[in-house]
This record gives sequence, structure tokens and C-alpha cells, in this order.
Amino acid sequence: MEKEIVSLSESRHLAQRLLTYEAVAGKNSEPAESAAFRVCAKLRRPLITLAGVAGFRSLLSRALTLARAEAPSLSVVQVAADGSVEGLGELASQTDKEQARDGGAILIAHLIGLLLTFIGEGLTLRLVQDVWPEAVFDGRVSEKERKLEHTR
Amino acid sequence: MSTQDRVIIKKLPTGVPGLDEILGGGLPEFSFNIIAGAPGSGKTTLAHQIIFANATPERPALYFTILGEPAIKMLRYQQQYAFFDQAKLNTAVRFINLSQVVLEKDLDAVLEEITKEVEKAGPGVVVVDSFRTVVRKAQGGTTEVELQSFIQRLALLLTSWQATTFLVGEYVEGEIRDNPVFTVSDGLFWLYQAAERSSIVRKLQIVKLRGQASVPGLHTFRITHAGLQAFSRTLGLAGQARKIPSTRRLSIGIPELDRMLGGGIPEGDSILVAGASGTGKSVLATQFIAEGIRQGDPGIVVVFEERPQEYAERASSFGLDLKTPRKEKKLEILYLRPLDLSVDETMHEILEAVRKIGAKRLVIDSLAGFEMALAPGFRADFRESLYRMITALTGVGVTILSTVEVNESFTEFPFSTYSISFLTDDIIRLRYVCIDGQLRKIMVVIKMRGGNHSKDIREYEITSKGVVIMGDRLTEYQGLITGIPEHLNRSGNHEQRSHKPKAKTKTKTKS
Repeated sequence: MEKEIVSLSESRHLAQRLLTYEAVAGKNSEPAESAAFRVCAKLRRPLITLAGVAGFRSLLSRALTLARAEAPSLSVVQVAADGSVEGLGELASQTDKEQARDGGAILIAHLIGLLLTFIGEGLTLRLVQDVWPEAVFDGRVSEKERKLEHTR
Repeated sequence: MSTQDRVIIKKLPTGVPGLDEILGGGLPEFSFNIIAGAPGSGKTTLAHQIIFANATPERPALYFTILGEPAIKMLRYQQQYAFFDQAKLNTAVRFINLSQVVLEKDLDAVLEEITKEVEKAGPGVVVVDSFRTVVRKAQGGTTEVELQSFIQRLALLLTSWQATTFLVGEYVEGEIRDNPVFTVSDGLFWLYQAAERSSIVRKLQIVKLRGQASVPGLHTFRITHAGLQAFSRTLGLAGQARKIPSTRRLSIGIPELDRMLGGGIPEGDSILVAGASGTGKSVLATQFIAEGIRQGDPGIVVVFEERPQEYAERASSFGLDLKTPRKEKKLEILYLRPLDLSVDETMHEILEAVRKIGAKRLVIDSLAGFEMALAPGFRADFRESLYRMITALTGVGVTILSTVEVNESFTEFPFSTYSISFLTDDIIRLRYVCIDGQLRKIMVVIKMRGGNHSKDIREYEITSKGVVIMGDRLTEYQGLITGIPEHLNRSGNHEQRSHKPKAKTKTKTKS
């Protein structure tokens, strides 16, 4: 179905699903806020294959700029030349856990939002599904995710 | 070696309507091809159409993008085409960006990267877009021999891995000489785009294709929501078996005219009805098509100057029902008005309609309208294409009646201003004549390739029943075809007086 405007809630929702999924899949020892960076790192590989390092870096930099307007704490985060995210340690040390987690979620939401804007929902979901083949992104919530949402 | 021992080259579909026929059946499998053309000529869209037509998860297509259009934007735009199947992305169709390797490393590294991906995926189709960028980058510090070696190794790799390859590049025609890419390639597809007055004319040429006979020459193509659509110069009729000539005569729906034609129009003939505006060419054509329907011959009417509904309405004013056969799919009225059509594209529309309803009769009303509907750049090809279509259609037994408007002259008797009478087997000429102070109409059969015909000049009228021939031949007049005949039984002075304006008579009286 064609959509003229990509809704912010749509990208936020998808970002939240990815973060939840990554948090569930991650090790217990890892801080929850690092889920955002794992999502970024996982998206980096297919997007570099598709758009090249420069292409991915541009997208992520734009997403970071948009995200900083909502979450100033992200000012310590940088996009490296190879498209990886730097500044995770600083973010965790300078802000509380919740702020760091929210900042990460906003960054992912904007990155997803840019993909939705440029290549549409169909192709974005396809890319995401390739990275998380076992996750369900059609609106259904897995049992694991439900439990995690419940414990929060 | 017998023909049975020869290797059979499988042909892959291009996914582009009309292009497989131009290629001689499709793309030769495992061939190494170049898609060349200026920016905006449709190279990337063609490459995409090919990959989406052939890629499967088992034999995917690898699309290497290099420094050209950013991949994200390419996906954004290409997904607008109907052939773009999102479900194939990353399963059957995989996009791989090689920009960085090209920018930072040498040709060996590029080849290594392509080799790695090809060995991993086992693709059926590989595209490098733009390959021109690779070559340009390489030329900075690479000798010609090294470049040729790279291209040869690339061709070897991709052929050995059983991939059909397309290198996409912005080339200009002058580069074709001494370019190793063109030497190594099995196929060279050149896309052109030119502005002709206010229209865009797109053409493609299969400059080279090893192993099979493609249709030579320039073929027009169009890019629409569905992607590219090509229109072969042979109009898809190449090699079509000709029908054994028929002896059947088709009634034109005007009994007297049938008699003048020696029993009707020979089936499979092309007949031209020429006359000035208002002489009843379209009415006669409508009677021909309506009579065909009545006798069970499905028909096509191609109109350029009025819409199908109006055409059918006008026919009913002559007591001819075209609405019912239209509903019953025995008649199709094609309205072709856009002013940027290519001649082959228009022919294609007509041929499709003919095939669809199995038409036996075709009316083109009129040739002048037809020519005007074409983009200016295509008008030069009009007669040649018309000739190909008429020859092909009449060859399979379709009888074609075309109308053409001629400038009424009182000193000449032209058949057609288009010099296309060579296209037709038979010609009927309609003409105004000035008789007894009235502007009346006469008709004459000028030519019938298939045999004898009446030489009579007959007067006719356009009545509520259409064209009706009046009385016998006009024997009392001389010089009918000049338009200003003389009555043989009246004195010259009387005849002159009857046709001369009063002012002149007055002058004579004065003298």
C-alpha cells in the first residue's frame, strides 16, 4: 500500500520492536541501553552492502542529527568513518540508564524513519527481516517480547 | 558436424515486451553484454527489468553498484515500476555496493570482491552499474593492457560461473572503436534518447550479439510505469507465414461500388479511398466495416480525429449499428491521438487489436491523422513503417481500407498527397465536380491490382443510408475529372454561360 507520509509513530514502533527484540536476544550481562548500538551495528552490515560505507554513514549521521534535537544527551555520540557508532561509554557514564536507552531508541527510530522515507515500508521491513530473520514485524508480538514488555 | 551436435544456447527472457523478439528470441545465456547509452536513456531500468525477470533464490541476480546513482535512491525510484518485486529483494535480487573498493583499491581488488560475491551466491545474472566508472577509475594509473586483462578475467570468471552479465555504462558512439570492453563483449545494446522538436524519441539498437540473429536497425521504445517496452521494426511479424492468396471478394456495403470493383475488394488487399474533405471517405469506410460485421468479419477502425463514441454515433446516423458489435467484441475502434507516439508503437497497438479480435477488416481513417499523431521525429519513418504493417497484415489475409485527404484541385487529379499509392492494391477516388451550378460528387475506381474493374465515373450522394451511387455512368459530360466538366449535348457557349459568374456575363453584354 502506498503511503505519502511516513508517520513518526510507525518508525518509533518498529525501532521499539527491534530494541525489544535485541534486548531479549542480548546477554543478561549487557546493559539494556546497549541494545540500540547493537541494532545499529546489525543494520550497518546490510546497509553498507547496499549503499556503501559512505551511503550508510550519511544516513546514520542524518539520523543522529535528527535524534539529537530530541535527545541532547546524544551529543556525545559520533558516527565513525566506517559507519560504526562511537561514544557509547560516554553516554552511559554521563546519563542515567533510562535516558541512555531512550536516546538510543530515538536514534534507531530516525534511522528507520529515513529508510521508510527513502525506500518505503516494504523494502525497509525486508531489510530488517533479513537482519532479524526470526523476529516478527507484522504487528504481532512474540511471547518473549511480551514478557519483557511486562517486566518493564 | 550435424546441427544436432551443436550446442544449444538457451535464451533468457528480458522481461521487456518486444525486446526478446528484437534479440532473436531472448538473451543468450552466459553471455557477457554491455548496456550503453547517455544518462537518462533507460540503461538502469533495462538492467533492473532483466534481473527481476530472471532472478530466483536458487540462481539470484547480483547487482553491483559503483559510484553512480546512490543505491538507496535507485531503490526508491526503481520500486515505482510494476516489474519491481519487493519480495525478491535480498533473496533473488541482491544489491552490492562496490564504490569503496573502486575508490580505494585497484582493479585486482575489484575483481577479487566480485569473485568473492559471485562464488558465494552462484548468480544467474550479474550487473555492474556503472562499469564505466570502474574503467575511468582504472585508467588513472592502469595501462590499456592491464585494463583489457581485467575485462577479460572478469568475463572469464562470470562466464565460468555460468552467469549472464550486463555491464552498464554511459558511453557515446565514438567510443565504440578500440575499446576493449566492446571487443570482449558478446552483446552490445545501445539506448538512444533525442529531443525532436517537442517530443522525446527513444530508440535502441542491438549493435552486436554473438550466436544469434537479432533484428538489425533502430527500434523505438517507451518507458512507462511498467518499465521499458520495445517496438520491433518488424512489428513482431518477422517470419510470419503468408496466407495463401484468397479468391474471396469482400463487399464494401455499397452494391454498385462492389460491381465497379469487379465483385468487391479482393480479400487481403489494401485499398485507398482518396478524396477532399467532405467527399464521404469516412462514411464509405464505415460502410465497409459495418458490412464486414454483418458478414461475420470482425473489424478494427483506427481513428485519429474523433473519439470512438462519436464515431459510433455518426455511424448510427447512417443506419449503421457499430455499438452492438463493439459490445460483442467483434469491432474495436481505436482512438490514437497522442502527439508523441512512435510509428512502430502505433502499429503495435493496431496489430494487438487485430490479433485480439481476429480482425479480417481494418480501417485507417485517416493516413493524414495517423501521421499527425506521431512525434515529429517519427514522421520521416511513416511511409516505411506503414508499408511494413500493410504488407504484413495483408499477407495474413487482413483487408485494409485507408482514407486519405487530397487537396481538391481543378487542374490536377492527384491520388494522394502522400505518394503512398504504391502501398495500395486498389484506389478509389472521390471528387467534387461542378455540374449545372451544383457542387456534386463523383467516384471512380482508379486501380485494382487484382484484376479488371469498371472504368465508369459515377455520381454519388451521401444520404441517410450512407454513400449511394446515383444512376448510370455520366456519359453526357466531358472532362469530369477536371472538376469543371462540359455538357456534351449543350453548346459550348451555353455551358460556359451556365458556369460563369453573372459579373462576367454582364461584361460580355456591355461589349
